[in-house]
Amino acid sequence: MKKLITKKNFILTAVVGSIILTAMIISNAILSSRQTVSATNEAVSEVSSFYLEAMADRRSKTITNLINSNFDHMEKAVAYINTENIGSEDELRATLGNIKALLSLDRFALVDDDKIVHTQYTTYTGGSRHTFLSDEKMNEKNVSTVSIYGSSKQLCLAAPTPELVIAGKKYEASFVQIDIREIVDLLAFEDEGRTYFGLYNKNGENISGTELGPYISRHNLFVAMKDVIDENTLNENRDNFSNAVEGSITFTANGAEETLVYVPIEQTDWMMVVLIHESVIHDRIRSISEKNLLTSKRQVIITVLFSGLFFLILLFMLKTLLKKDLEAEKENSNNFRNMASTDSLTGVRNKHAYSEAEAHLNQKIRQNEIDKLAIVVCDINGLKIVNDTLGHAAGDKLIKDACSLICENFTHGAVYRIGGDEFVVILQEKGFDTMSEVINEINRIIEDNIKKKEVVIAIGHSELTKQDQMVHDIFERADQMMYHRKQELKQMGAPTRPQ
Amino acid sequence: MRNHLKIHCILPVILLSTVFLSACAFNDSLPPSNVNEIKTDHEDVSKTGSGSENTAKSAVDFDHELDDYTPKKDHYNFYFTYKTIHPWWDAVALGMEDAQRQYLEKGITITYEYMAPEAVSAEDQIKRLSEAKDRDFDVIGVDVADDEIISPILDEMVDSGIKVMTFSSSDASEGCKRIAYVGNTHNYEDGAALTEALCEKLEYRGKVAILVGSVGDPCHEDRARGAKDTIAKYPDMKIVATEYDKDSVDLAYELTISILKDNPDLDGIICCNMSNPVGAARAVTETGSNTVIVGMDHDQEALHYLKDGVIYCLGVQDCYSIGFDTIQTAVKIADGNKPGDLFREKSAEITTVIYQEDAAIMLELLYGDD
Repeated sequence: MKKLITKKNFILTAVVGSIILTAMIISNAILSSRQTVSATNEAVSEVSSFYLEAMADRRSKTITNLINSNFDHMEKAVAYINTENIGSEDELRATLGNIKALLSLDRFALVDDDKIVHTQYTTYTGGSRHTFLSDEKMNEKNVSTVSIYGSSKQLCLAAPTPELVIAGKKYEASFVQIDIREIVDLLAFEDEGRTYFGLYNKNGENISGTELGPYISRHNLFVAMKDVIDENTLNENRDNFSNAVEGSITFTANGAEETLVYVPIEQTDWMMVVLIHESVIHDRIRSISEKNLLTSKRQVIITVLFSGLFFLILLFMLKTLLKKDLEAEKENSNNFRNMASTDSLTGVRNKHAYSEAEAHLNQKIRQNEIDKLAIVVCDINGLKIVNDTLGHAAGDKLIKDACSLICENFTHGAVYRIGGDEFVVILQEKGFDTMSEVINEINRIIEDNIKKKEVVIAIGHSELTKQDQMVHDIFERADQMMYHRKQELKQMGAPTRPQ
Repeated sequence: MRNHLKIHCILPVILLSTVFLSACAFNDSLPPSNVNEIKTDHEDVSKTGSGSENTAKSAVDFDHELDDYTPKKDHYNFYFTYKTIHPWWDAVALGMEDAQRQYLEKGITITYEYMAPEAVSAEDQIKRLSEAKDRDFDVIGVDVADDEIISPILDEMVDSGIKVMTFSSSDASEGCKRIAYVGNTHNYEDGAALTEALCEKLEYRGKVAILVGSVGDPCHEDRARGAKDTIAKYPDMKIVATEYDKDSVDLAYELTISILKDNPDLDGIICCNMSNPVGAARAVTETGSNTVIVGMDHDQEALHYLKDGVIYCLGVQDCYSIGFDTIQTAVKIADGNKPGDLFREKSAEITTVIYQEDAAIMLELLYGDD
């Protein structure tokens, strides 16, 4: 398990995790946005259908109210005529003129029992012009649609007048004709072209002359829609029209989704049809949704950027921390190694370090990879006496002084303390080349020190010869020489340990 | 346009005669043309197959304005009697009502009676005229039911100081003293033009029947004459029946059924009034016959048959303009004016022959029906 948790795996896990998290954030944002749009669209459809139905109902009731209002006025008109003592056609015309002024019945007319129509200005035989004048239709109030040659259609309201007699002539009916264009004007209201309405008869024919949107326009509703809805739906809606049942149709034409709602108009065989481009509402909602989506996308991008930046910083910090740890560990390791190879009193390398260096050099000698190598053996004179007479502190000082003297002169050599009073200097390259000068100088100093009663060191040295198999061979010759020198120094007055 | 010219070429003698006679009747200050027009967009329908919106729209002119004549009175009262209760005259009535409204806007009140019997009857017309002449109307207008019977009556009325005009479909006999006529003055040519279209369609051979309206009705009889004369030009064409439907669609249907029964190989039917083509088309549809029908007028059902290809062509008269011009002319006559600069002795109302491709536009134009 511990092997799996590596630095590489950690970074990989962090990166993959970041990507997965980011993907989840983005997908959640998109999904959420789409669900919002979908839910909104459903709500819009329901609301728009409800809205259209309300509009259609309102307009339908307006027409029904108009019809009822006109029938009321017609009753009042007939009652008014009954009160007038009309004796001629001219008087009848004048009375009809008064009715026009009093009751706003523009096209009010009476029909006598010869089917002659009497209006304010004309008297005419109207059997072919007004089909509602047939006897079977004259027993009760009658609402019919009249197609006028060269004119728009008219809504004709006729009511029997069984008691009406004028100048001895019996009158059978009164009627008014309302131009559908006037009804359309009554129904129109400002909706900024977003909704359309039309009056249709039972076979889907547009009788109001109003455009029901750009696709259906003024065409027969079912003829226009046969290419945009399936046959079953078409037939179902045809039946609704025939049976005066309300309904709705949603269809797509020219890439635009449209909904129309139709409701029957009471007392007539008309349908009030209202149409709205769903795209009008949808476009608005879509616009809002797109804004929301854009905002979400921005949020996601910002989140991703911040997440990325955050993870980069995190990685950088982690890397820095790991590097610091590594360096500290390395430094500790070096310290430990230095502590193991260094003489604690003088600070130069100890015998352990010398053994490692000796082994290393021995390998080079065996492989004949080295030719300039000299070993200098240094031994402090009189350390035993100082320790015994002046104490170990003085002895330690003597060792430090001796070490300083050696180090200050053998600046191009490696100095090792291999015993209590014994140092070795390994000279290679430049140290080897300057060895004689350095030894002469240090011996001169030592000889001066004898007189000054300061530190005295016996030095012996030897160079690598072809016969040498290892460093120790050189060391032996240098050590021998150091003993000879020690004797010389003794003769010069240098302190020595008691025999 | 090419066939427009063609029609005029087919009928040069007739038209030139009309021009000549009309020119003789008017003084030099008359407008340059007194020729009654027959328009047709018949441009080899099978080749062009294109509906002409302009043809349909120019057939009936609903956009009228009163001319600049200033009436002398602020109230006129007219009496008009026409041949029979029928949608054709309802269309005329709408033009009259439009003129009446426009006069009213100018502060001039026009009242009138516009009366007809259930069926064409010269006797009924005589009765109506005898009642009207005693009621002090400014002008009495007559759509002559039978020119031989009615024309003398009109002369008597004029002689007694009554201002009489004729209007709509039929004028009085030549030489009648009526002041002016507003209406179709080219019924013979209409019959000839429709028959010529049929002959061309049948490639100038085959059996045809002629349906006429009422016996003695000048316009119906004139069209029938035009049809007969045209058929007579082509030796391979034969008239196998001529029947009168008394302006009844039902009778036209029954007559056609009977003719088809007697002549199962009948190639064409020429219909001279508004009810003929409707009855004939019903019969042809019912029997599955391939008989080609040509006929008159703008009946809504007939236009649907035209749209469906059952009827080959229809001659549509501009009823609206006839009605409008009738009221304008009546006002001028009531003021004591005579034919001349103000109005013509015979108007120049048009008839337009329309074909299948014009039917939908005409239906929408006339009835708001698509």
